[in-house]
Amino acid sequence: MMTSQTHDSDGERPGECEYLTLAFSPTSAPLRYRWRNNGLSADFLGDYVTTFLPTAPPHENRQNEIKHAVTYIANELLENAMKYHQPDIEIPIRIHLELATDHIKVSVSNGIGVVEAGRYEAFVERLQEGNAADLLLKQQEENAERSESNLSCLGLLTMISDYDAKLAWRFDVHPVLPQSMTVTTSAVLPFKTVTGASLLEKR
Amino acid sequence: MKNVNGEFFEIQLDEDNSTVLFKGALRLSGTEDYAPILDLLKETLISSRPIVVDLRGLDFLNSSGITMLSRFVIEARDRTSIQVEFLASEAVPWHARSLKNLQRLMPALSIRLI
Repeated sequence: MMTSQTHDSDGERPGECEYLTLAFSPTSAPLRYRWRNNGLSADFLGDYVTTFLPTAPPHENRQNEIKHAVTYIANELLENAMKYHQPDIEIPIRIHLELATDHIKVSVSNGIGVVEAGRYEAFVERLQEGNAADLLLKQQEENAERSESNLSCLGLLTMISDYDAKLAWRFDVHPVLPQSMTVTTSAVLPFKTVTGASLLEKR
Repeated sequence: MKNVNGEFFEIQLDEDNSTVLFKGALRLSGTEDYAPILDLLKETLISSRPIVVDLRGLDFLNSSGITMLSRFVIEARDRTSIQVEFLASEAVPWHARSLKNLQRLMPALSIRLI
């Protein structure tokens, strides 16, 4: 029986950072329409982050890199949440952005059945044991021979391999429906690993 | 000339020069949605002319789109006589970050970051 689990000790410290949360009620519109919303929301979060970054030369490149990294990660996490959300339960899809002095964190949560949660957790464990760049290469070779592929795995692998994101997962049992869970996937971008970035300057 | 266009993107194949030009932002939802674009890319494999994939105007590509490019690169790699060059931009962050993985799939792939 799966219970609440955290795969990372990176706790939230409310009050020490800026944050923004968006929530979507996923049952209210068809997937194709909501898909467009992923891109709009991700672009919004990317733009929002730039408000807190220095823009004057020589910082424009750094700002552009961080903006793109946040947009890419938010978009991938939202796409996964929209694809795998369990449609018949009243759990909203949430995206949460946190800005701290030394990192940015993007978290997305969605509802999922316990069976799917188990599969996702098995994938997470495999991901944590292997090298993301090698797993990505292997997955791309395998996908070339298939008509449909497990694309969400690739999204997570690219976040680690191409953006140096540190991922963490949390599985919470629904308080009323024991066959449902809320899964939260978080990606932390430490500023030192964002090309050209050091620390978010104090305003 | 052949085109695949969407709300946020435009892709153009110039058959005479085996060149495919990408513009905009691509965030389609999966293999099925990317199939027309992959088919357009694969048309360049029919002749033995060097292929140019110009990505300089493609500001955003989701991971499903990266998978589509990796499928094209693997097909090109398996036809050993074909030369493929990707044109990329230093001003577009995903180019330097993600295109290197395609070179791991096809070491002969040329990526020109302009």
